[in-house]
Amino acid sequence: MEMTEYSSTEMMAVCGAHAVKDGERVFAGTGLPVLGAMLAKVTHAPNAIIIYEGGYVDTQNKDLALSVADSRLGYRAAASIGLIETLGFLMMGGRVDVGFLGAAQIDEYGNINTSYIGEFEKPKVRLPGSGGGNDIASSAGRIILMFTHDARKFVKKLDYLTSPGHLSGPGSREKLGLIGKGPALVVTDKCQMDFNPDTKRIRLKSVHPGVTPEWVKENVMFDLIIPNDIPTTAEPTAQELETLRTLDPQGIYLGKGQK
Amino acid sequence: MTEAAIEDKRITLEEVTKKVPDGAHIAWGGFGYQRPPEAFAMELIRQKKRGIRVYTCGSEHDLDILVGAEVCLEFEVAFFAIEALGLAPNLRRRSQEGKVKFEDYSNLAMALRFLGGALNVPFMPIRHMIGTDMMEKTRLRKDKAKVIDCPFTGMSITLLPSIQADFGVICAQKADQAGNVQIFGIKGEDNEITRCAKKSIVFVEEIISNEEIRQHPDMTMIPGLYVDYVVELPFGSWPMQVFGIYDYDLAHLQYYVQECKTEEGWQKYLDEWILGVENHEGLLKKIGEKRLKELRADPKYGY
Repeated sequence: MEMTEYSSTEMMAVCGAHAVKDGERVFAGTGLPVLGAMLAKVTHAPNAIIIYEGGYVDTQNKDLALSVADSRLGYRAAASIGLIETLGFLMMGGRVDVGFLGAAQIDEYGNINTSYIGEFEKPKVRLPGSGGGNDIASSAGRIILMFTHDARKFVKKLDYLTSPGHLSGPGSREKLGLIGKGPALVVTDKCQMDFNPDTKRIRLKSVHPGVTPEWVKENVMFDLIIPNDIPTTAEPTAQELETLRTLDPQGIYLGKGQK
Repeated sequence: MTEAAIEDKRITLEEVTKKVPDGAHIAWGGFGYQRPPEAFAMELIRQKKRGIRVYTCGSEHDLDILVGAEVCLEFEVAFFAIEALGLAPNLRRRSQEGKVKFEDYSNLAMALRFLGGALNVPFMPIRHMIGTDMMEKTRLRKDKAKVIDCPFTGMSITLLPSIQADFGVICAQKADQAGNVQIFGIKGEDNEITRCAKKSIVFVEEIISNEEIRQHPDMTMIPGLYVDYVVELPFGSWPMQVFGIYDYDLAHLQYYVQECKTEEGWQKYLDEWILGVENHEGLLKKIGEKRLKELRADPKYGY
């Protein structure tokens, strides 16, 4: 079979989609997670229910959203309510299976910074902040993190801890009464990582075609666990790519013309 | 039955903005790209207000212009960016200058703080924020959040201080002159905001009759008794969107994000789009009928 060319961004979106199971309640933010969740719903997970924190529940939008409050998400949604509904009754109520998040930095336990780069007292950059991120990281059944790979994002110590990963290791989420199970998967444009179930420390899960485990090890700022026999991530199928591109025909998130 | 006169709370944008003094604390409505009080933000700038503190979940173009013009430099907030278009450019620059003070909360935390204020209770519990730097790192408040042992179950639970702001400001699709407000599409945290404020100001795209309100009472999200002022202001959320009425002006937002990366660019934008027009009508004239027509929503889709 002839391979269809694809971009690293498309690879990420497809990995995100694969992480959604049929019938799950999915909390999606804007950006690539939107595409991942939508792709899952039109391929292997038609019974997934997608929720956006602005208040949209069970969406079937035809156009891509730029905001979690975008009117596009209101078209054919089952409900348009509000924040206390989505982040309160649904999320803190323990009714969401999986949440997607981005990050500017994560540490070895999948703790997340989306607030500040540099010292809190005199930050170099003010990032967007928590938004609903902390709420999602606290209470969604499991978390899928998606961001482009850059060594400076995988740090030994976060500049600021915005949203809880596995905090300081086994048992620490439970001790604080957090109902979600924390990060399960990290998807970058180079690899996928997951977490050791016993130690809760991050480890390499698969490398995307053309990437080596050694490259990944050199491109994180902590001592990454590399298990033996790291597989290569399955490439997107022609069908998946075709569907993905129809979901984002203008290349808003996938980018234009890149391969 | 004696017929009561229908109270008239209508007022102009200019007059209602004059009622907001320097240093006022405002619970700020709209969420993401949906129904933000843009025209109000621009009028606060034209009237050169200072020392405003804003409480809100998500802040985007509306609050970024307030930061640029230094009308508001204090925030209790969950999110500040222009979502898919990137970081808010004025916020980024003013933060580097050390001028902006944030108290960071999560979105649910802010919504619950509004709910607490609306219920007239001093705090609200939340199962989130615990375990993070949001608990301890503070700038504006001595007591930002506290963890207690629940007196019923013994579990650790975080308490958040409720908000009862001087003003609550939202935009909606329709209201009558008495301030009975209909919101179509998502409500964000606007229901709570109008109920937690000492004075509520509502900007609507259209004033409808009290009779129309009474024909669909289930559509009234905010009864008039919570509302002090009603301003009829078509395109009051431009360049953002109002579900069912108009879409966001993406070209303008992209231009904004690009232009305001530098102080010079921002000053040019400020002069041209905010100070350079006399009022909201002047702004609509500048945008032009052709563009406004393009932005009108297709009723079939709502955008």
